[in-house]
Amino acid sequence: MDTFDRDKKVGSRVDRRTFLKVGGAVGVVAAAGGLEGILAAQRAPAYAQVRKLHVLRWTDFIPEADGELKRQAPEASKALGAEVTIEFINVNDLQARTTSAIESKFGADIIQLLWNWPHLYASALVDVSDVAEPIGKAQGGYYDVFNATSKVGGKWLAVPHGVIGNTVAYRRSWHEEIGVKEFPKTWDAWREVGKKLKAKGRPIGQALGHSFGDPPTFCYPLLWSFGGAETDPSGKKVVINSKGTIESLKFFQAFWKDACDEGGLAWDDTNNNRAFHAGEISATLNGASIYVVAKRQQDKIKDDKGQPLYLDIEHGAPLPGGPAGRFALYVPFQHGVMSYGKNQALAKDFLRWLHQKENYGKWFEANGAYSVGSTKVWEEHPMWSKVDKPLRVYQAAARQARMFGHAGPATAGATQVYTKYIIVDMYAKAAQGQKAEEVAKWAEGELKKIYV
Amino acid sequence: MAMIGGPRWKRWAYFYVPLWLYMIGLLFPFYWMVVTTFRPDVELYRSWRAATNTPLWTLNPTLEHITYLFTNTNFAIWLYNTMFIAIISTIISLFCGLLAGYALARLRFPMAGGLGASIFVTYLVPPTLLFIPLADVIRNFRLQDSPWALILTYPTFLIPFCTWLLMGYFKTIPKELEECARIDGATRLQAMIRIIFPIAIPGILSAGIFAFTLSWNEFIYALVFLSSPQEKTVPVGVVSELIRGDVYFWGPLMAGALLGSVPVALIYSFFVEHYVAGVTGSIKG
Amino acid sequence: MKPGEGQRQRSGIIARESADAAGREGIVARPHAARAGLLRRLLEHEQVLAGLLLLPTIVILSLFIAYPFAKGIWLSVSSATVGNPGVFIGTKNFVKTWNDSIFQKAAQNTVVYTAIATVFKLGLGMILALLLNHHFRGKRLVRASVLLPFIIPTVLSTFAWKWMFDPTFSVINWALYRFGIITQRIPWLSNADLALGSVIIVNVWRGMPFFAITLLAGLQTVNPELHEAAAIDGASGWQRFWRITWPLLLPVTMVVVLFSIIQTFADFQLVYVLTGGGPANSTHLFATYAYQIGVATGLLGEGAAISLAMFPILFVIVIFQLWYIRRVEGA
Repeated sequence: MDTFDRDKKVGSRVDRRTFLKVGGAVGVVAAAGGLEGILAAQRAPAYAQVRKLHVLRWTDFIPEADGELKRQAPEASKALGAEVTIEFINVNDLQARTTSAIESKFGADIIQLLWNWPHLYASALVDVSDVAEPIGKAQGGYYDVFNATSKVGGKWLAVPHGVIGNTVAYRRSWHEEIGVKEFPKTWDAWREVGKKLKAKGRPIGQALGHSFGDPPTFCYPLLWSFGGAETDPSGKKVVINSKGTIESLKFFQAFWKDACDEGGLAWDDTNNNRAFHAGEISATLNGASIYVVAKRQQDKIKDDKGQPLYLDIEHGAPLPGGPAGRFALYVPFQHGVMSYGKNQALAKDFLRWLHQKENYGKWFEANGAYSVGSTKVWEEHPMWSKVDKPLRVYQAAARQARMFGHAGPATAGATQVYTKYIIVDMYAKAAQGQKAEEVAKWAEGELKKIYV
Repeated sequence: MAMIGGPRWKRWAYFYVPLWLYMIGLLFPFYWMVVTTFRPDVELYRSWRAATNTPLWTLNPTLEHITYLFTNTNFAIWLYNTMFIAIISTIISLFCGLLAGYALARLRFPMAGGLGASIFVTYLVPPTLLFIPLADVIRNFRLQDSPWALILTYPTFLIPFCTWLLMGYFKTIPKELEECARIDGATRLQAMIRIIFPIAIPGILSAGIFAFTLSWNEFIYALVFLSSPQEKTVPVGVVSELIRGDVYFWGPLMAGALLGSVPVALIYSFFVEHYVAGVTGSIKG
Repeated sequence: MKPGEGQRQRSGIIARESADAAGREGIVARPHAARAGLLRRLLEHEQVLAGLLLLPTIVILSLFIAYPFAKGIWLSVSSATVGNPGVFIGTKNFVKTWNDSIFQKAAQNTVVYTAIATVFKLGLGMILALLLNHHFRGKRLVRASVLLPFIIPTVLSTFAWKWMFDPTFSVINWALYRFGIITQRIPWLSNADLALGSVIIVNVWRGMPFFAITLLAGLQTVNPELHEAAAIDGASGWQRFWRITWPLLLPVTMVVVLFSIIQTFADFQLVYVLTGGGPANSTHLFATYAYQIGVATGLLGEGAAISLAMFPILFVIVIFQLWYIRRVEGA
């Protein structure tokens, strides 16, 4: 659509505005042709023209994955006999668009929903069990985490698309230098390792800022591994002010001082990537993007010996364990069909098309292990044998994921705790020096207001 | 307005040194953006403690970021969009502000004070709240994904300021001027257009500059009401496409920032003298 | 020649010219006198003309502010969430917000942020205005370039600052480190108080040019003869500033300060990009917190209540300043 088309479109829109207001016709008139458009608007809605489907997604961390989707859009258009457009926006802006779309009842037909947003926007989503169930059955079943996030009240309100795993990326050579061949299995062990490395100017890097990915994926599992939890299984009783929580906070204070880069309080999701690539930190929790980017830009990202950095990256997964076990919080994402959309059947067909093995497989491969499939069948995809050894850790990663709100269900209340960064701030406050008991009490107060 | 007199050291201590400090403080970030725009990626990933780390300059300037900006994103289109929207919003706001400012400053009518106050009060309402119900209005008028959504909503925060500024300006113009004209047979309208408006031109210019800058700068309405990549404005487009999750494309990002402010700076350099004179007039009111 | 005189002279000439034109028009208009006469009489009527002149403004503002604002107020007294219209719950949202510790921190942050930023913008802006009020080569270029921080879209310049303050790669830290002034990196954005300070620095950087240029305009209306007379009487530079310049500039200052306070109080983009409200809510402002609650959490009612919480404070500030301006003008 070049600039001259746009002027024509604008002109005909302004004319049509008055006609539409007068005539009240609701035709979805194609943009071209001023006079035709005006006449058409006064007739009954004309369904002869092309149906349109608007999909809204985030700008993927891996540009090649988006490239694959952009390539698939015209294929899907042909297969479905409609015009499919995929729009990519910054992940932080997804919710603003979703909110205004739902409130004004106009916007994209399909929106990518992260975490457990289907619970948040449940009243505006269409039941897509008829799409999700068959896919799940045919592909070995969905991972458990999607039962928590995409299913609301027993119905599938979104079709699971994928999971972004996270692991600890670490510098193999630096760890071998101090005699560590395998990634530490317990928090205490990791703290010792980190202490030695920090003394050499190579601390562990962890983000604790108000950012959507890295901070929560670290803090929640840390809490769980010491036995802390937000609520009891009923989801109504707040149990955060417990011995487990306080122990985890105390541990974290020591861990932070001894082993971490203390600038992490201001880090968002991008700082650790850059710090790792520049050789400032020795280990950090992240998705596969550190490795994938280091490999794809190996001529630019080198270690201090001039070798491509990606050769020195190893992944440990999941995070170390505490007294209560080893846990992980991954980012699940799914596609929701919006109830205000005019092309719901078309939307469902598109999702069925998207999840067909050939189409999904190509997207899956383009990701290079950054996002893994939503169903178990993708664990056996040949890509895993071809992918670099350090990335194989992500293969079955999604099996262990928990969702926030644990031990209760991941309802809108849990989302509120997440978006208010209460758990993250708990650890941030501990890192800043506040007493563990006070911090736990503060978190309890905040959670109580939410889980009423 | 003259040069500081007295011994040379005085001029340096009281004028040149402070002025230079200001210039460095204000313009350093722009220098930073320029360096980053031309800095190759290799240097971006270097450790800050490395001996070869030269954050303040680069010896290997490259045009790859600017090329990336123009070939891999729709930057040129965004520039055009933002310019188009800013110019028309400014014209609309100036038009409304001129008329409203004149009415409130020169004419007597009931509720003049109340109306003036309520126009001003709308300035206090935060856009971070307004955008949600406003999306509803935009949808009702079928303006979504069209630059007209912005062109019609930007005046909501531009008109109050333009009105206020021009009101102040009009108040300084003596009433006798219009009265003379009307005695000589001119209608109110003619007096307004032929006499008062030409005198207010500096004020109009300054209001226009301010309005243009605010439109150029605006983010949240542009984010929410536009969706096609070809319709986006510079701030929204740059943020959407050059920040991918946890990777910032710093080179093109800074290039976009620079090139996204150059047009406005050029316009300013033409008008800044008039702007200064314009605000002088308004503040007497 | 005083400022007003020039205008009067110029407009006198224009008035005479337009009167001639009006006379000529009158001759041409007589054949259409009957119809045109009614229209003319209407337009002559002060109230009708005022109404017509205000019409475009009123239309645009009613359509695009009045309705959304009313809806916003409705949201704040309802239990609305995204997709659910909710029911009327009176002041419950406001009560909940009042007792919210994060809100209280955000309120405190906003007040501190606005107060400190405004004071610095005014002070530094005034000094810069005084500096620019001289003749020197390149005056025009300097004045234009000084406005650059104000021109560049906030979102983009804040990214540049974000990197300049970066915990690991900050160029400021690097420079200070190289000059031996510091041995540890300054945690511009990681330390709670410094983070608020950093946000204030960026706001001052961005807003100060506007103050400077506007105050410069005001300075140029101050009659230099006043300064000369005072100097002859033995007043020092400092005294001349406080006794002559400052009082004469007060009206300008107040207007600029007023607009600046309103904008700073409702600031969103800067904090959102630089810190997202962190670390641990130490830089949250009303607008960023309202956004976090309303949009990220989907609690529209509460988000609206937080947004509106700014309104009474702003209103009071505005009324106070308007009263003060009127008093100063009257004096």
